[in-house]
Amino acid sequence: MGAKNLARANYISSELLGRKRETVEIVTEEPIENIMKEVETDTTIDRHEVMDMCEELLNEPLHALDHDYALKGLKFAFDSNMPPQMVALDASQAWMVYWIANSMQVFNETTIDEENKRKMVEKLFLMSEDKGPFSGGEGQLPHIASTYAAVNALALCDNFDNCWDQLDRKAIYKWLLSLKQTDGGFTTCNPVGERDIRGVYCALSVASLLNIMTDELIEGVLEYLQKCQTFEGGFGATLLQDEAHGGYTFCAVASLCILNKLHTINVEKLMEWCSARQYNEEMGLCGRGNKLVDGCYSFWVGSTAAMIEATTGVECINKQALRKYILNCCQSTTGISLRDKPGKNGDFYHTNYVLMGLAITESTFKYKMEPNKKSPFDLVSIPSTTEDKPSDLSSINPIYGLPSDVVRKFHKHFV
Amino acid sequence: MGFQYNIKDYDDVAVLPLVHDGEEDSELCRIMYSEEYKQVMSLVRALLTENELSIRALNLTSKAIELSPAFYSVWNYRYRILEHLLQEETLLQNGHDASYLLNKELDWLDEFTLNNPKNYQIWSYRQALLTNLHHHATFIREQPIMELMIDDDSKNYHVWSYRKWCCSHFRTYGHELAFTEKYIDRDVYNNSAWSHRLSVLKQCDVDFDQELGYIKGKIEYVPQNISTWTYLRALFESHSTPAKLVDELLIFTSQFLDESSYALEFFAYLNSLPEVNKPQTAIDAYTTLATKADPIRKNLWDHKIQLLQHS
Repeated sequence: MGAKNLARANYISSELLGRKRETVEIVTEEPIENIMKEVETDTTIDRHEVMDMCEELLNEPLHALDHDYALKGLKFAFDSNMPPQMVALDASQAWMVYWIANSMQVFNETTIDEENKRKMVEKLFLMSEDKGPFSGGEGQLPHIASTYAAVNALALCDNFDNCWDQLDRKAIYKWLLSLKQTDGGFTTCNPVGERDIRGVYCALSVASLLNIMTDELIEGVLEYLQKCQTFEGGFGATLLQDEAHGGYTFCAVASLCILNKLHTINVEKLMEWCSARQYNEEMGLCGRGNKLVDGCYSFWVGSTAAMIEATTGVECINKQALRKYILNCCQSTTGISLRDKPGKNGDFYHTNYVLMGLAITESTFKYKMEPNKKSPFDLVSIPSTTEDKPSDLSSINPIYGLPSDVVRKFHKHFV
Repeated sequence: MGFQYNIKDYDDVAVLPLVHDGEEDSELCRIMYSEEYKQVMSLVRALLTENELSIRALNLTSKAIELSPAFYSVWNYRYRILEHLLQEETLLQNGHDASYLLNKELDWLDEFTLNNPKNYQIWSYRQALLTNLHHHATFIREQPIMELMIDDDSKNYHVWSYRKWCCSHFRTYGHELAFTEKYIDRDVYNNSAWSHRLSVLKQCDVDFDQELGYIKGKIEYVPQNISTWTYLRALFESHSTPAKLVDELLIFTSQFLDESSYALEFFAYLNSLPEVNKPQTAIDAYTTLATKADPIRKNLWDHKIQLLQHS
């Protein structure tokens, strides 16, 4: 970049992207349980802001989940057009359908009515004219994340109008193979796509649900996944030892569970990493070391903990505390119902993952079968008896991010 | 034709609207597109259908991407256009020079990137460009944009990940220690910077004792910091003869047991090792963690205690 461009870039950076804070070093003593010294930096300034907002809400008695309010918002979304600013999701339209429909289904299996199912199927097949792989919207290129979201959304349609039978599974299989990389990973799209662990998870999720898994498809995948575990214990995005992150860790662990290979990585370290995501003060989960709590990690990390629990019998997070964070801090009384944290607006992404996170906190997880035959479809979620006033949500299969009975029925259809 | 989007350049194009774009449509979650968006995307669809790989198509993708940064199909189209424009024949025909085109593209990307810090597509596009189309790319050319982006958002996952890719792609690791130090000095809690540092350590040919001194200094500066203790543990585990280090680290860690739960955790871990073999000391430390220092993680501490009791 020349001097002129650099100056311009600097201008954009400071003027358009917000200010930069200088580091001020002040040693403060916080009146929390342990008096631990801390230095004031961006990290601690941001965290204290969040802690302050959570504190008041966490001091209140446990809130109840407002079913009516949340469901009203979800139904409204299905019956309305999206405002122009939602153009940001123009290339991820299947996600929108999945987030909303899944949230409805997690509330109650009868909330998606026949008319909604008809509209969902119609909309989803707009993204896949040939009923093969799905794209982000009409006339777009097939994309692995869109295919994942669309297949999950179709699973929620309960074979309405034989939509399950209409899927061209051969075409999906062939296309998944075309995304496979020599290192064992998958790209999201051809010719230009992202090559990270999300691709692996989306491919394995779709292939296992549709019963199109082959040795050829999963060749090298296990080694790829194993190499993505980092020194922190969680998983990074790629083979280059990226920072351990809640979203990528979920993708890795769910993929390993699909392959029944979770025991081949360092599970002990993974447990430590998951557990370290929970803060004493906010009670919720963050996605990386020294980052802020965010309701969506109630699923990404919570679900990882649930898979570990099913595999080892050890609960590595505090579900009751997480439940308190979700119920007291993640419910919004205006707009869309569930949110990242106090001070943020709700959205459908957070509604889906916060809600599934809540379902996880009210359940225990195990496998039905003997240990050496763990199939992702035999991971069962049992309502825990310790919670007072449970939120009455569907039980979740943490591997697929869908209600357990939906996963069972959908998979069985293709066996 | 210049490299600017101008609607007049597309007067002759028969636009291709979405099939399901009518008001009467009962489509689920239909986005109410702005008129400008509809117009630009209808032009994109039209040119894409004709597979037009021209300068004006390139300019159109700039506009479309500006309106919808995550629209990966347009990024893919742009890539194919550029690929075509860079072919010798096309270069001759258009009177262009390959490096001129590529620099222009990188400049455009830089500016776009600064305005879209959370976008996924930029980086994979950039990687594809540098891997397949740009034969004289350098690490140096990539540095300013990475630095500006991390200056602005010091934990931006995509940028740190891209930086790792650049190091690996260009086999250039010489800047990394100073680079991570800059961000660690600014914010010692920056886990992205610590994680990056550890991931390149082997390639940086660092003196082990010097690095050990560095991390100890950062722990002394702020003892209650998960990033530094995790880093210390990784450094310890990477050492060829960790047994020799254990005593030194036990003494070092003991200083911070009252002021850092992470010190307590590392202390318990060291005492659980066969080289030390003091399970009761470890159990006591885990008990303190479970009851006082880090009670929300009680489940994990209880699990650790159980492991020790059963071994």
